[in-house]
Amino acid sequence: MLLIKNKCLRSFIRIFVPFILIPVITVAGALAFDEKKHIIIALAVAVSALLLFAAGFEKKSTGTRRMVIVAVMVALSFAGRFIPFLKPIAALTIITALYLGGEAGFLVGALSAVLSNFYFGQGPWTAFQMLAWGLIGLFAGILSEKLLGSRPLLLLYGALTGIAYSFIMDIWTVLWYNQGFDIKLYLAALVSAVPYTVSYAVSNVLFLFLLAKPFGEKLSRIKIKYGV
Amino acid sequence: MRSFSEYNPIVTAIWFFCVTGIAMFCNYPVLMLISLAGAIVFFIMRNGLSHGKTHLFFWILFAVLALANPLVSHNGKTVLFVMNHNPVTLEATLYGLNSAVMIIGVLYWFRSFTQIMTSEKLLYITGALSPKLSLILSMALRYVPLFSRQSAKISSAQKAMGLFSDDNIIDDLKGKSRIFSIMVTWALENGIITADSMEARGYGTGRRSQMRRFGFRGADIALLIASLLLFGITAAAVGTDSLSFEFYPALNAGAPDTLGILGIISYGLLIILPMIIETEVNLRWKYLRSGI
Amino acid sequence: MEILAVRDLSFTYPQCSSAAVKNVSFTLERGDFAVLCGATGSGKSTFLRMLKRELTPLGEKKGSIIFCGTELSQLSDRKAASEVGFVMQNPEQQIVTDKVWHELAFGLENMGTPPDEISRRIAEMASYFGIGDWYDKDTAQLSGGQKQLLNLASVLVMQPKLLILDEPTAQLDPIAAADFISTVRRLADDFSITVIMAEHRLEEVVPICDRLLVMEQGQLIASAPPAEVIAALKSREDILCGMPAASRLYARLGIGGACPLTVREGRAFIENNYSNRSPQLQQDEYTHKSNAALEFGDVYFRYERSGRDILCGLSLRIYENELFCILGGNGSGKTTALSAAAGLLRAYSGRIKVFGKKLKDYRNRSLYKECLAMLPQDVQTVFLKSTVREDLKECGADLSVLPYDISHLLDKHPYDLSGGEQQLAALAKVLAAKPKLLLLDEPTKGLDAAAKQTMMTVLRGLKEKGVTVVIVTHDVEFAAACADRCAMFFGGRIASVGTPHEFFPQNSFYTTAVSRMTRGFYDGAVTLEDAAELCRINGRRE
Ligand SMILES: Nc1ncnc2c1ncn2[C@@H]1O[C@H](COP(=O)(O)OP(=O)(O)OP(=O)(O)O)[C@@H](O)[C@H]1O
Ligand SMILES: Nc1ncnc2c1ncn2[C@@H]1O[C@H](COP(=O)(O)OP(=O)(O)OP(=O)(O)O)[C@@H](O)[C@H]1O
Ligand SMILES: [Mg+2]
Ligand SMILES: [Mg+2]
Repeated sequence: MLLIKNKCLRSFIRIFVPFILIPVITVAGALAFDEKKHIIIALAVAVSALLLFAAGFEKKSTGTRRMVIVAVMVALSFAGRFIPFLKPIAALTIITALYLGGEAGFLVGALSAVLSNFYFGQGPWTAFQMLAWGLIGLFAGILSEKLLGSRPLLLLYGALTGIAYSFIMDIWTVLWYNQGFDIKLYLAALVSAVPYTVSYAVSNVLFLFLLAKPFGEKLSRIKIKYGV
Repeated sequence: MRSFSEYNPIVTAIWFFCVTGIAMFCNYPVLMLISLAGAIVFFIMRNGLSHGKTHLFFWILFAVLALANPLVSHNGKTVLFVMNHNPVTLEATLYGLNSAVMIIGVLYWFRSFTQIMTSEKLLYITGALSPKLSLILSMALRYVPLFSRQSAKISSAQKAMGLFSDDNIIDDLKGKSRIFSIMVTWALENGIITADSMEARGYGTGRRSQMRRFGFRGADIALLIASLLLFGITAAAVGTDSLSFEFYPALNAGAPDTLGILGIISYGLLIILPMIIETEVNLRWKYLRSGI
Repeated sequence: MEILAVRDLSFTYPQCSSAAVKNVSFTLERGDFAVLCGATGSGKSTFLRMLKRELTPLGEKKGSIIFCGTELSQLSDRKAASEVGFVMQNPEQQIVTDKVWHELAFGLENMGTPPDEISRRIAEMASYFGIGDWYDKDTAQLSGGQKQLLNLASVLVMQPKLLILDEPTAQLDPIAAADFISTVRRLADDFSITVIMAEHRLEEVVPICDRLLVMEQGQLIASAPPAEVIAALKSREDILCGMPAASRLYARLGIGGACPLTVREGRAFIENNYSNRSPQLQQDEYTHKSNAALEFGDVYFRYERSGRDILCGLSLRIYENELFCILGGNGSGKTTALSAAAGLLRAYSGRIKVFGKKLKDYRNRSLYKECLAMLPQDVQTVFLKSTVREDLKECGADLSVLPYDISHLLDKHPYDLSGGEQQLAALAKVLAAKPKLLLLDEPTKGLDAAAKQTMMTVLRGLKEKGVTVVIVTHDVEFAAACADRCAMFFGGRIASVGTPHEFFPQNSFYTTAVSRMTRGFYDGAVTLEDAAELCRINGRRE
């Protein structure tokens, strides 16, 4: 990684390889060979993507202050998971990504998942939660200019990612339960998860509506005062 | 002489992943039953008969999972009865039961895993993979109780200065939101100071080392090798279709060959390993104490 | 060997008109123990942070700092980090990790020290500071004093050549503070570590330091051995009032000779120069009103059901219109008692009455409506807004008649203020609630002597208006000078109460330097005024 001099190219590779290349290769490979055991593939993709991302992050020199801000946001969203019914994790992940970039967003999402699962129960789903929340942050970072410019767009992004999160986690539930994908079970899972889906979307919109502006001001002050 | 939870966390974690890996990725009923039984025994060995709520929750979930499949999926040849014009089949019922055994087993394993892997051990493991991430996690872990204490402090300080002097809900909510807002400022500001304190002590100046809190001893290596070996045999048996069990279209269980039988035995041994260790420790203690 | 040479150093914060540090020059030799003092907001913290490269704040900097012959900015990262150690003003904020052992190891881990050596060095340091007992604890469970020691130890494991301490004793009780200072002195003597320490409580440190630096509005106005500095600044009442009692007495009496610094020298100075024909000072009889403003009756309190009792049969009456000071060791339960009085914690047994009415009879928070207000120990919890002005406005303060001048702070963010300035701004906010009973938790920490004088005047003014004030403090001199009555807190209850003239002469540690100095020679002298008066009455020895 250090051999590549161009910084843009380097960060491109750091994101491209774990999140695009590996999934594409493995899914293609899986389709070519055995259509059962999807779950192994899914878990392998999630874990290897996370590991590669971690390795890339380890090599990169990130400012200490940035890292600590990430830790603070992780702690805040962990604490937020104790609120009944409403879950601010995704909203906080998105806000962090908007002001500190996609990578910070990914970290906040992924680390909040591991950390809070120590309280709410670890399981094989941890890897998927990490990936799902992390990607929500990553894409928010990539889209940050647009999302910062328009509030309705930001709220829409919140709602969509809330629904998407629920859909992704249901795929995982079905894969795990059935060892292979079954559309009927998936639909059943989607229907039974409607209350959750709604609560994810609503919490994202609500918390983005309430928190985006004050958090933005505070993060901006920190950026000016300390040059993060 | 250490009990299982005092072994090197990396070894313990590998053991856990071997056990749950087999349980999750294979659907051979015998192995699933071994996993569930082992998981329950392991959990009870560590916790005694407490945690009644956990058990209750798991078994309700078990029932839901076992019933879900036959109601939704109508594959299989042997129709037991027809409900709402949909056939409920024997195969789908057994399949659901098998999945439920697997999932509940894994849930029990992970519950025990969470108990054994304290935050300190988790940090040790992540530290071996990525010291930076491990540090972020360790700080976040420290901040959570710090934040809750600080916000309690701020709200009582404000109360004693007459912030919530009007006794109504609106005033309460307004006060709470102001406290939340200053808490965020405080958290960020304090975070920056922590970052400065880290740099002041040389963080980020070059390669980090890690103070070893968990040694790698002979017993750790022995446990590691045993786990990997047993896991290897089981995985080979599962991978080469020595243990095959078809639910659909009709139940079809081929009798396991030698490798298959070896695989089952290995998985059983793998799961009993920690219990063997615990028993040995207990016996040794008794023996040593009798000499005091 | 010259460790540190500072030349013409200046610094201005962004968006500030005047410089916080102006043209500072001085040098330090290896093994020197230097003490930096000066008024609140004079730029001490800013200056010390400039000596530690990683902590230098964002802003405009001029001048040079040479550390061991190399310009500070040219030093390699590792050297800069390990050879200059810094202990921050607020002990809570410096802690990085969640376990004590990890905190100790943290710096060495960053240096890439091999694990075995880390274990060896922290084992040694933990024994030196007596940390062994709480080595495996969570850092969050430590008391303030323990945190302070941990910070010092975790900086020292890196074996720095220069140790910078920013008001390390501000929240320590008198005994812990003396211990801390003698530990630092020992480090300078045993390991030739050069120490520079900002401090407002000068009684203990000035006599044992090699060099006293005085800062005023960003400039260094003195840098010499303490006796010389005091001699040179004899006419500056505002600076002198923070110096050790012996030297203040010497300056007050103005009879010449060598300036005494320690209690022992002060005693010799009095005994050699003055007689003790009439050792007793005429004291007015203390009278108080008959009704109690605050009353504890056999109060028991604990934080957790299975924990120990923090308040353990506490009984105390504080009368209306009294200035009452409570002293006591770290962790003895003073803050807990105040919080219980303010209705923030509920005692599980016993009764607490405010103005004769039980706490739970104050319905609908009427307790906090112009009746009672409390200044908490951690003043950062007082601020809610993004400028001091908004904060004061929020609680309805009249900005034109503040009890003391903080106009220069109004437009700053509360978190940008210096430690002492925060303290003053927080007190102003609490006073705006116009309470009849005012509870202050360590209001003088981080304040310079002159600001303490101001605070005393303000408190006396409140007393004139009929307000009752209860102060928890570690500052014995402050308590002796302003209290009507003092009490000693120990083991969850009051161990002794009395007027300063009854209270302090009985104690041997929780007592003023003047009392220790004159004990057995004069009777019941507590404050500097007492001692000066007695000397004047008795006259010079022939
Ligand atoms: N981050 C900041 N931004 C702007 N001004 C600041 C900042 N920090 C401090 N100041 C100002 O600089 C001046 C010097 O502050 P400093 O903290 O150095 O004082 P100090 O001598 O340490 O005071 P104390 O004894 O109260 O700790 C003060 O007037 C303060 O308001
Ligand atoms: N929130 C809490 N939960 C549990 N224990 C606590 C809590 N706050 C304080 N304590 C314990 O109660 C005891 C008294 O604490 P308190 O803060 O009242 O001491 P203090 O006399 O004010 O000390 P200091 O002079 O250091 O401020 C200490 O031993 C402390 O560890
Ligand atoms: Mg300061
Ligand atoms: Mg206290």
